[in-house]
Formats: sequence, structure tokens, C-alpha cells
Amino acid sequence: MKLLWRFLKPHRALVAVTLLVLLIDNTGTLLVPTMLANMVNTGIASGSLDHIVSGGALMLGASMLASGGALTGAFLAARLAANVARDIRCAIYDSSLAFSGGDFERFGTGSMITRSLNDINVIQQSIIATIQMVLPLPFLCVVGIIMACMIDIQMGLLLAAVTVVVLVIAAVTIKNAAPIFMRLQGLIDRMNVVLRESIIGVRVIRAFTKERREERRLDEVFSNYADSAIKVNMMFAGVDAASFLLMNFTEVAVLWLGGDRVGAHAMEIASISAVLEYAMLILFYIMAAQMVVLTLPRAKACLDRAAAVIDLEPEIRDPQGGAAGAATEGRGAAGGAGAAEAGEAVAEFDHATFRFPDADEDTLHDLHFACRRGQTTAIIGSTGSGKSTVAKLLLRFHDVTDGAVRFCGEDIRDMSQEDLRARIAYVPQKAWLFSGTVASNLRFGNEGAGEAEMRHALDVAQGHFVYELSGRLQAKVSQGGTNFSGGQRQRLSIARALMKRADLYIFDDSFSALDFKTDAALRRALRPETRDAAVLIIAQRISTILHADQIVVLKDGVVEGLGTHDELMETCEVYRAIADSQMKGGGRDAGSR
Amino acid sequence: MPAADRERMQGAQDVRGDERAPLTGAATAPEGPDAVPADPGSPESDAPESEVPRDAVATVRRLWSEAAGQRWRFAIVLVSVVFYTGFSVAAPAFSARVIDVLWADIQQAFAEGRPFVVDWGHGGREILVYLGIWSAAFVFYATQTFTMAGFAERLNLALRNRIARKLNRLPLAFFDAHKPGEIVSRATNDLDKMSEVLQTGLLRLFTAVGSVVGAIVMMFVYSPLLACIFLAFSAVSIWLTKVAARKTLALAAARQAWVGHLTGAVEEAYSGRVIIRAFNRERASSGEIHGLADKLAEASWKADFLTNAAGPAIRFVGRLAQVVIAVIGCGMLVAGRLTVGTFQAFFQYIMQASEPMTQMSMTVNTLQSALASVERVFDILDEPEVEPDPAPELALHVPEPVRGRVSFEHVRFGYLPDKLLMHDVSFTAEPGQKIAIVGATGAGKTTLINLLMRFYEVNGGRIALDGVDTHAMSRAELRRNFGMVLQDAWLFDGTIAENIAYGKPDATREEIVRAAKMAHVDFFVRTMPAGYDTHVANDAENISQGQRQLLTIARVILTDPKILILDEATSSVDTRTEHAIVRAMENLTAGRTSFVIAHRLSTIVDADLILVMSAGTIIEQGTHAELLEEGGAYAALYNSQFM
Repeated sequence: MKLLWRFLKPHRALVAVTLLVLLIDNTGTLLVPTMLANMVNTGIASGSLDHIVSGGALMLGASMLASGGALTGAFLAARLAANVARDIRCAIYDSSLAFSGGDFERFGTGSMITRSLNDINVIQQSIIATIQMVLPLPFLCVVGIIMACMIDIQMGLLLAAVTVVVLVIAAVTIKNAAPIFMRLQGLIDRMNVVLRESIIGVRVIRAFTKERREERRLDEVFSNYADSAIKVNMMFAGVDAASFLLMNFTEVAVLWLGGDRVGAHAMEIASISAVLEYAMLILFYIMAAQMVVLTLPRAKACLDRAAAVIDLEPEIRDPQGGAAGAATEGRGAAGGAGAAEAGEAVAEFDHATFRFPDADEDTLHDLHFACRRGQTTAIIGSTGSGKSTVAKLLLRFHDVTDGAVRFCGEDIRDMSQEDLRARIAYVPQKAWLFSGTVASNLRFGNEGAGEAEMRHALDVAQGHFVYELSGRLQAKVSQGGTNFSGGQRQRLSIARALMKRADLYIFDDSFSALDFKTDAALRRALRPETRDAAVLIIAQRISTILHADQIVVLKDGVVEGLGTHDELMETCEVYRAIADSQMKGGGRDAGSR
Repeated sequence: MPAADRERMQGAQDVRGDERAPLTGAATAPEGPDAVPADPGSPESDAPESEVPRDAVATVRRLWSEAAGQRWRFAIVLVSVVFYTGFSVAAPAFSARVIDVLWADIQQAFAEGRPFVVDWGHGGREILVYLGIWSAAFVFYATQTFTMAGFAERLNLALRNRIARKLNRLPLAFFDAHKPGEIVSRATNDLDKMSEVLQTGLLRLFTAVGSVVGAIVMMFVYSPLLACIFLAFSAVSIWLTKVAARKTLALAAARQAWVGHLTGAVEEAYSGRVIIRAFNRERASSGEIHGLADKLAEASWKADFLTNAAGPAIRFVGRLAQVVIAVIGCGMLVAGRLTVGTFQAFFQYIMQASEPMTQMSMTVNTLQSALASVERVFDILDEPEVEPDPAPELALHVPEPVRGRVSFEHVRFGYLPDKLLMHDVSFTAEPGQKIAIVGATGAGKTTLINLLMRFYEVNGGRIALDGVDTHAMSRAELRRNFGMVLQDAWLFDGTIAENIAYGKPDATREEIVRAAKMAHVDFFVRTMPAGYDTHVANDAENISQGQRQLLTIARVILTDPKILILDEATSSVDTRTEHAIVRAMENLTAGRTSFVIAHRLSTIVDADLILVMSAGTIIEQGTHAELLEEGGAYAALYNSQFM
């Protein structure tokens, strides 16, 4: 709820005006019955047409007030809700940008999308409904009763009594129905999950001849849902009937008491109808508000889910103050490469240890090595050995739990994330491209790049295939780059990284989808490009890293060996085992690619 | 003006109808990584579906026949509706009499200079008769509401159960051609729409027709002039409703389009967030999302505004009518051409008729789109089914013990009968042999599995297991002999133990653990919070693809099949683990026939038979040495990859 206030605050004026307009709407609505009654009363009493016409004009005025208010109210409420929804969406997305991998995984992509889209839609609709149906309710009840009192105090008391009874019915309904509503929601979700499962898993289900079991599972969730839905329907049928009955008694009471009061000269005959009208208006608004209130717990849940994202304190934050900027100044983001001397330790792991927050064991333990300028460092190990985490530590997607990671001598925690990442070119394991064009993807690495630069990067990355596409650099890329083969995606992803002049190039298993020839040609072309920088290659194939200046062998997060290929073949048993298994002929991806 | 407000009361139920829509809507977007990108199950991102039924009459007739066993409810509802509208139309007419009697008595009392009190002789009787009329209306109203409360959901359940049955009889071709979200949406959104419309819309349509007709007739009885004025204004509001409805649809579509754009952008940004951050593109990306969110907000307030403004606008026309009628009516009242009672009764009829009249045109729209939904459900139910298994007494059986000899004999096959992929494929897998299937992505390797498992039927020739035509066997018996590990490992919502024991529900915990150990997944399972009792779902994010595959391997190990199908089973497991699995599989495959869609050279080299696939058919077959010798496609493939 705090979150909602935060997002409503900038629109305070809009909120106030909206409410005001809706009060005008309600006032107009409430004035009409009294006016009609007065028209009839004076018409009967005086027999004059003037009164009737002026009464009609008044009624017209009140009607216009009410309808104008309602229209403006609908307009403002829609604007307000849309603005708040937009602001929450933007806030969720902006928060997510600061998340570390761990922060993000806490929610997961699917959930984040739901939180950004559907959840907010629920909130938006609830805001509209609440503003239009719930907030004006107290005003309407009170003013309705006052108007009735102005006709006659006894009638006003009768109306107050009716209002209380209806409010009690509504409160009881909400109390009983809210849990069933929530359960119904759960059952709908469940229905979706089970259905999806039985559709996605259809081959497995049939392979195991489990059709009957799936039928039973589906029937069960369907029946559970139907039972609850019927229960809810029955409950509302009950409320419906109760209101109907209550209305019957109210009418009779008003007619009877009204007759007496007219007889006692306390009020006039046509006002009976006005009081009845107020009773029904109040009843209607309370019932409508009740339906809205019932949906609010769900909106609250959505709001809480949004708040969980927005309020999450990112695990990794930039250092306070300007110290960070000053420290890296002078080297510049891209200019450092040429000036610095070869052999300088660009990235350095100083007894770095990393453990995921909920894990019992270190993912990386006591890493101690440096990637030097002009040299190629390779990391090899099986999946789960922590290879990719090494790259993520360097990019500061995670922070070390012990020890330190230094970039050009400076602890990366003392640098701003932007400075750090500006100096690293990264080719991720999953070659993900963004929808747009080849050029728009390449410009990720260098926003102002011209065609010559892009062509150069493509040439190095063996991305010549681009020139054969229709549109060439302007060729369309679909989301994720799915209109390219795995190998093409990897080459484009490499080209994208090469657009950037960096101090450190990280290739995270980036050659896996390339055939041997392309792999070799690419690495050859890469050498002059990265001569003045440090290169870190993470790989599974030994052939890719055979000629690296140093090879780090990781096993279960621990460095098992460090040296050149020849040294490791001599000294490192783990390395030998990997090499043997691949030399036997198995290592390279075969056959099906 | 009671009758009027009763109509409005029903209007209050509208709110419930409106609110139910987002309730079910958002829920259909399951939270899961695989759920979202591939197939947005949420209506928000679905492609626009038809809102108009193709053949309304036929659909209604069929729905009616589906409701067999429920029809008595419908009959009760119809009878109740008739009586309810009868009483509720009669009530205002009688209220005119009540007021007139009261007014006459009061005036008489005033004339005689004595105070007036309502009692049995003076208005009391009329008031109680009036109560009686409304109570009768109440009885029928309650009857129809309670009866209808169960009708729609029961009909819904019956259709859902039929879908559940149908899903198991649909050929795999259906599932390959339709996105899961699309099918889920049929069974959830479409049917919910139907029940909602039946629940509230239909009932209201019935009573509306009765009330409107009755009220208009009564208006003409009281004053043809005023009645005509009312009809003139009604024409305007009906026209307005039509315009609003059309515009609402257009704006809603525009909003959906922006929802789609934003969903796509957000999904892409979340999937590529590592790259956005690595390249310092946060500001650019944030700007893009903000821009789209703003566009959506724009489209969204327009749609919301129109939806919420249509009511007040139409009501304003109604109020205009009331003012005009009030002025003229008052004039007639003063001139003595109307009594106070009839004047008020006339106003009640106005209210009784005007709300339902606008509602009716709205309801017709929702009724149409509900029928279109029902039609989509029927479309699924009408899909052609797999050909039934041979009758039990006619079904052939493979003699026990099954040896596992599989042969393709002149098999012809195509996913479309007029576009054959395989023209004449023959090969034989002897018991215990390892068959490697190789070929580029999209070469149709899964086609072979589809045929072996009879997920698809051959168009010619035959496939035999131990010499018995698989087509003449029951599918259950055939599939019992196969163990299959697919590329996308499937876990269902349940514990890990249940998932492993899927093919053998009566397996003991020891057996399950033994299978898990053989699949090298025991250690991983033990690190889970509740071990083998940890709850998993298909979209669980805490289990990697490799571990999922290991679990499905354990599942197959437990069922101990005669023939194994390994579909890239080891592709996302790392080298060393893969080796371990291969060893486990080697133990398992001893004495069993195995078909392996192979990645690993060692698998291929060791295979007894290599099937090289291209464009959906087998282009070469033989051993590694033979095929290299041949110097054909296999040799080319091998050389390009391994020099």
C-alpha cells in the first residue's frame, strides 16, 4: 500500500480533481429525485405550468451536472490509473536493471514479465473501479440520508436503518466470499498449470501410456474449480435474493410510513418516491462497491509483488561519492589499450571466493591468477565447475564473498559499474541478439559506429554471411536472433563485442557452435585485434584453448591446475582426463550440427 | 420508483461481471520461464480471436444438446422468467393504484380536516397486496437466480471433461500444429466466457425482453404521447450504444496491440539483460521501455475511458427523456389527464425499460463473442482423432519375452499425405543393437521416433516389432516396450520421487533411489531442500536442463524397457557427467535395442548401424567404416566437422 501512495503522490492534483468531479456527479444524481418530487408537489398544489417548466429546467441542470461529472470522472479516473500503471511499470523495469543475477533469479523471467504486465493491469483496473465505485460511497450514503432527512426526519431515520442493514449484509458477504474468491483464483491457476503440463508432456504421457492418469488429474482440477465456482455463484445468488427481499420490505415501510407522514402534513405525496429512490440508490452503490472490494485482495497481492521488485535493495551497488570516477579518470574507457604496457595485470583474482547466498558450498574457491595484457588466458572445466561465474565476477554481476577482484590494479568494488563494464568486451555463453537490424545489434558495442567499423568487426568475427543477406547490415534480426543459426548468432555476438575497444575481452564458451575451420580462422583474425588487451577464453573444447598463454583448470570451483597445455598434460590429472576424453574423439560436438 | 431500481440492482451485478474478466484473464498467464516466451497463454498477448460466430444457430443447438440432463434447470428458469416479468410489470401498475388510493384518502381526510393515518381500510390493504405482488416476483426471481447459479458451471464442467478426454485421443499432429497456450485458452478462457454469459447475460436478456415489452405496452396504455417520446429517446440511446460498442472494440484492440509490443520488449530485455548491462545499455533500454509503457498508458486510458463513459453517456440521454416526460407529464397531471399514481407508475416503466434496453444491445455483443468462444471449443472437440486401437481380441501381441527386433519395411511417410518425406525406407535393428541417427538440425530425426512410437502413422509399408506389425498392436502394448528420453525433459507438478516413478507408480523408495543413482542424479536430489520429496513443476527454475534430463533418464531406467530411444539425451550435460551417463546407459543398453539421436562421435563410431537423415528421410545407412568408405553425405559431414 505504501507503494501505491508513492505512485499516487505525483498525481495528487489529479486524484483530488477526480474525486471532486465524482462528488459532483453524485450530488447531481441525488438532486434529481428531490427535484422531480418538488415539481410534482408544487404542480399539484399550485396548478401552475411555470413551476413545472422551471422545475424541468432545474432537473435538466442537475442531470447535466451528474452526467458531466460522471463523464469527466470516467475520463480522469482512466487517465490517473493509466499514469500510475505506467509509472509502476517503468519503476519495475528500472529497478530490474540494477539487479545482480542473483537478485533477478529470485523472481525469474516469467514472473518478472507477469509482474510488469498482467499484475499492473489488475492494479490499474482496481484503481479505476475503486475511484468510481468505492470512494464516493460514504459521501453518497451520508448525503442520501441527509436529503431524506430534509424531506422528513422520520424518513431519514428509516433510510439510515436500511443503509445499516445493507452495509452489514455487504460486510458479511465480503468476509465470507473473500477467501473463496482467493481459492477460486488458485484453482484457475492450477487448472492452467495442469492443462499446460498435459499438453507439453503429451509425448511422454503417451510413451508411458498415462492417458488415464492425466484424465483423472484434469477431471479433478476441473471439478474442484466447478465446485468452488458454483459455491461463489450460489453465495451471490443469495445476496441478490436478500437484497431483493430487503427492497420489498423497504418499499412497503416507506409507503406505509410515508402515507402516515403525508397524512400528518410532515411531507408531501410525491416525496415518497424520492425517499424510495434514495434507498435504492444507496443499496445499488453498496452492492456495486462490495463487488469491487472483493477483488481488492487480488490487486493488493499484485501490488505486493510489484513492491517486492521495486523495493529490493540491489545486491551490488556503486561506491558512494565521486571517488570512483576520479580513480579511473585518465585511463579512459577505451583509450587505455594502446598506452598501457604489455604484461600488465588487467584483471586479477586475489584469493577470490564466491558463494551463492543460499548455497552450502563455494561456487568458486580461492581463485588466484591474473589476465595480462597481450596474453590469452583460458579457463576449462566441466559445466558446474564455475567457469561462467568467473566472467560474471569480472563484470561484477556478482560480488566476491571473500578476497578481491582487481581491474588494472583497482578493486572493482571501488569502481562504478559503468566504468568497469565500459572497459570490458563480453561475449556471453548464450549468443542473444536483440530484435532490430544487424547494425543496431553491432552498435550495442559502440553507439556511433560507422559502416567501416561494423564491416571490420564482422570480418574479424567471420561474419561474412551478413553480406549475402538481403539488406546486409540492415538485415532484420528477430528477437533473440532466432532467424540466424547458432553459429551465425555466435559470430554476430562476437562482432558486437569487437565493436568496442576494451582492455579485457571475455569469450564465454563463444566458439562452441562454430565448425573447426571457422573457429580456427576466427581465432587467427582475433589475435591482432586483441594484441593490446587481455583475453579470457572460457571453453569446453581443448582444441580451442590449446595455444593459450595460460590455462586455468577448474573443478568444482577450485583451481586444479595452472599453466600451458604441455605443462598441464604433465602435471594436472584433471586436465589430462578432459584431454583424453576429447582426444578419444568424443569432445567435439559431432554429427548433428 | 421501485421497479426502476430493481433493474438498476441487476446493474450492480454488472460490476461483478466486469471484475471477473480481469480475474480470469490475468490468471491464465502462468508464471514460468517456458510459459511466457514461446506461447503467451494470457489473453493479453493472444492474437485477436474472432468475436463473431460462424453459425450461431448450429452452435446454440449443439450447446443445447450438450446441456442434456441440465435442461430441467433451463425449463425452470424460463418459467420463472415469465412469471417474474409478469409480476414485475404488473407491480408499477398496481403501485399507481396504491398511490392514488392513498392520495384520495389523504385529500379526503384533509378536506374533512382530520389527520390521516394508514390502516387496513385506508391504503393498508393496497400496500400489503403490493407487497404480495413483489413477494411473488421475489420467489420467481430467487428461483431463477439459484437455478442458474449451477447451470452454467455444470455445463462448463461437462465440456471441460470432454476436452480432457479429447486431448488423449488427438493425434500428435494436432499438438505439433497448435501452441499450448492456444489449447489451454480454449479450456479456460473460452469456457469461462461462456459460463459468464450464460450466468448473467442470458438471464438478463430474457428478463430484459419481458420487462421492455411489458413496460412499453403499459406506457401506451397510460399515455401514447409520452410513450412515443420515450421510444424516440430510446432509439437515440440504442444507436449510441451501438456506436460505443464498435468504438470500444477498436480501442480495446489498439490497447492489446500495445500490450503485445510492451510484452515483447520487456521479455526481450529480461532475456538479454546480461548483455544490456555488460554493454552499459541500461539508459537506452530504460528509455525504450518507458516509451512503450507511455504508449500503452495512452491507448489504455482511451479504452478504459470509453468503456466507463458509455454508461453515463447513454444514461444522460435517458435523463433527458425523463426531464421532457416529467415536464409534459406534469402538465398533463395539472390538466387532470394523469393521476399522481399513473404519473409515478409511468416513470417506473421508463426506468424498467430504459436500462435493459441499452443492456440488451450490449448483451447481444457479449452473447455473440461467447458463441464464438463456444465454437472454438467445439472445433477442438471436432478435430479428427487418432485411429482407434484394434479391438482387444483382434490385437496382435508380441510373443514374450520381447526380444527387441525392430524393422522398417518399405516405409512411406509424410506429415502431409500429399508431401511424402520417406518414400521407401527399410532397415532392421537386431535385438541389442545400437542405432545412431545423425543429420543436420531439421533433418527429421524426430520423425523416426514419431513413427517408432506410433505418434504418427506410416502412410505405407510397415514397422514391425519382433516381426509383428506395430499397427496391429494396441498402442499401450507397443509403447510399454520403449523407453524414451526426449530433448526437452518434461517434469510434472509433483515430487521428484513421483516424477521418477512416473512409469512405475508402485516403485518403492529403494527402487527410485537406485534408478536415480544409476542416472547420476542422486547426489543432486539430495541437495534439494526436501530431497526426493521436493516439489517440482515443469517450469521450475531451480532445476537445470541437464538435471531435468538426468531425472527423466532415471524415470526410464526404472521402467526397464526393451528398447531405448535417446533423443539428444545428453546434449546439455557436461562432458564428464555425460561419460558417466553413457556408462550407465551402456549397462542398461546391454541386451536392449537402442536408438540414439547422436551428438557424440564415440556413440556414432560404436554404433551397429548409422542412419543418416536429411529432409525427413534416411539417405544413407551403414556402419561408420562402411559409410566413410562410401564417401557420401556422411563422409562429407564427418570431414567438415572433424577434419
